[in-house]
Amino acid sequence: MAFDTVVVIGGGPGGLRAARGIAELGSPVVLLEQDERLGGTPIRENYAGLTPHATPAEPLMNEMAEAVTSNPNADVRLGTRPTALSGEPGAFTLTVAGPDGESQVECGAIVVATGFQHFDPGRETQMYGYYEFDDVIALQDLEAMLKVHEVVRPSNGEPPKQICFVQCVGSRDRHIGNEYCSKVCCGVASKEAIEVRQMLPDCKVFIFYIDMRMYGYWENEIYWTAQEKHHVQYVKGVITEVLPKGDGLIVRGEDTTMGRPMELPMDMVVLSVGMEPSAGTRDAARVLGIRPNRFGFVDAVKAPLDPVATSKEGIYACGAALGPADLEDTVSSAANAAMHAVGVVRGQSRAGAGGRQPGGPGVPGPGAGRRPARGARGDRRGGRAQVAADAGDRR
Amino acid sequence: MTIPIEALRQKKSTPYEHQPDRYPDFQDELAELERAGEIVVQKIDGDYLEVPTKFGRPKRIQKGHLWHHKSCGQCGHIPGYSTSIFWVMRKLGYDYDDPKDQTSCTAWNYYASATSNAAAQAAVAVRNFAAAYETGYFPLIHCGTSYGHYKEVRNELLHHPELRADVRKVMDKLGKPLVLPEEIVHYSEWFYAMRHEIAAKQVVDMSNVAVTVHPACHYYKLVEGDAIYDPDVYGGQRTAVVTGLAQTLGAEVREYSTWFDCCGFGFRHILVQRDFTRSFATLRKIERMKEEADPDVVLTHDTGCVTTLDKSQFAAQAHDRNVGVAVLSEAQFAALAMGAHPYKVCQLHWHSANYKPMLEKMGIDHEKAWAEFQSDLKRLENGEKRYLEWDDMD
Repeated sequence: MAFDTVVVIGGGPGGLRAARGIAELGSPVVLLEQDERLGGTPIRENYAGLTPHATPAEPLMNEMAEAVTSNPNADVRLGTRPTALSGEPGAFTLTVAGPDGESQVECGAIVVATGFQHFDPGRETQMYGYYEFDDVIALQDLEAMLKVHEVVRPSNGEPPKQICFVQCVGSRDRHIGNEYCSKVCCGVASKEAIEVRQMLPDCKVFIFYIDMRMYGYWENEIYWTAQEKHHVQYVKGVITEVLPKGDGLIVRGEDTTMGRPMELPMDMVVLSVGMEPSAGTRDAARVLGIRPNRFGFVDAVKAPLDPVATSKEGIYACGAALGPADLEDTVSSAANAAMHAVGVVRGQSRAGAGGRQPGGPGVPGPGAGRRPARGARGDRRGGRAQVAADAGDRR
Repeated sequence: MTIPIEALRQKKSTPYEHQPDRYPDFQDELAELERAGEIVVQKIDGDYLEVPTKFGRPKRIQKGHLWHHKSCGQCGHIPGYSTSIFWVMRKLGYDYDDPKDQTSCTAWNYYASATSNAAAQAAVAVRNFAAAYETGYFPLIHCGTSYGHYKEVRNELLHHPELRADVRKVMDKLGKPLVLPEEIVHYSEWFYAMRHEIAAKQVVDMSNVAVTVHPACHYYKLVEGDAIYDPDVYGGQRTAVVTGLAQTLGAEVREYSTWFDCCGFGFRHILVQRDFTRSFATLRKIERMKEEADPDVVLTHDTGCVTTLDKSQFAAQAHDRNVGVAVLSEAQFAALAMGAHPYKVCQLHWHSANYKPMLEKMGIDHEKAWAEFQSDLKRLENGEKRYLEWDDMD
């Protein structure tokens, strides 16, 4: 038996893009979202504008959600999460828990789009007094302020006159086990710095960094713009601590360019917190039986050229479920995962290692691998016919 | 939509919650190497107490049968520090070994960039651990620098097979195994863990005594994850050792702004920029404490911190700066609370800053105590005894 439905777990940018792609290709898709609203982290954390162009996040996410919810091939289930999986590629049975209790979804493939969570600067790691001082906040906290167009010090409600960003909080840090770069924080901090300068022209804005990692076009779009147009001050140096001073804060660290210690008074400190696997990503790995990497993200077992394959055939992952990713990477990998998933349900998948037994339509037989076996070629032809039929149905 | 300050406050007010397995745990790596036969792990094998650590893993502190890894600076400059540790342990009825074959950890010169290499540093550490292991007593590290350094060495040994191979060659020549203890424990962690037992034997009321605490950099800034942090002390936002003990003994712990700063010792600075050390210790630390908290005593838990904060004050006093406050280790403070003799046990006469007002606040008659001490010295002078023994302490 084989099922033609694809389940997408997670209703953020990656999940929405994957679900939209699957639905538009004519395959039934069930989108599971644990929250009561689609949009994922940008909505839940009240992002103001998306990096790099600071385009307002909420309308964009609503647009993405609408593209899914308006498609008759899509079945969106809010407040729902997976709890168990059985079966095999092409014929999975996924148990889900939702508002109406547990139910089962029969599906041929699964896309994991469960994303990330912001690093908690923490009660345990106690970085930079995030929990001690009102005026130490994180990137997403500032996003929420930018969204309502009012940046103020949480301690007194006054606009800050001097504010700084501290980069690499919770990233590139062996002590806490997060040895990876979170990729987006340099860009997000620079984007937010520009927005603060636009909103509060009298506020001085500093960014303390190890090295700025402005990938691709972000270099021109954000980094140089921040400096040359908006006079954001980038200081190469590691901040060691944030301490109270009067009713403000002191940041202390080393200016590594000048080779000397520094102390600067600040009204607000913004911690550029990195990415960690979300609880949903950890749960998905456990429930689906797919291998996490040592950081808890889903292991991309065939990277770099097949970056969405997981350790279990028929299950694909995308976006920040696989590791730190910006939005462009997220939606690109989501489309990639959607393509693979549709391929599986239509019998086009080239089976990876795993030696499954021959099954019904869409399930490759023995010997399936890098070179398709005869049976698999037959399946692929069937798959193409199915695509055409589906396309005809849609018309 | 309103400004999301309230939501932010609510998020920050969520209670401390340890997330198991959130951070890498060296215990897993120790166990793995032990299973592979690469190292010997000395296990905690007696009664122990569990205390919370920064990254949440409970740390086990063995109560007795301890091998005292002493501190060069304590023994050389402030002998009442180590004596107080031993005295408290004896009074609580816990046995220990005061070894004769322990070497310096050599970390001071290492941190001052003056000497050594990774294999030599690790071999010195492992030799001392092996010496403890051979006695069956569990190591307890008196010095904050040794403690921090040994944790760094442990980290290096766990992650670098080539370093283990180098150290193994040295240990083979010495005929000793490559041993790492299950936990690396600083004496101040023992005092913290035992604070309620100490308080149960308290005979001196400390409620009239105001203290400030200087946390030692090498205790909590090196390999920070398994230093003791307790949600009940500073909300788990600073290390709990010293402060937790002082509070349990009923003293008033007062706050000051430069608690995070080094005492001024700085390793390199005390060696090559001593004037900087003296200025930093007095102007950044002692004067701030005096201005902001006016303590009766500064408590800290490392050799360099006690000596620097204590013995730097004379220079600032000569310039009429606002200094002049007693500096003790919390081990001496606990010993005094339990009735230890201020001169025979705590040996406060080795301290430079004026400690007598502090003793008066504790209700301890320092003139009488000094007379008793002088009387004992006479016994040494006239050959009645060669040195004072534990029986002479009470």
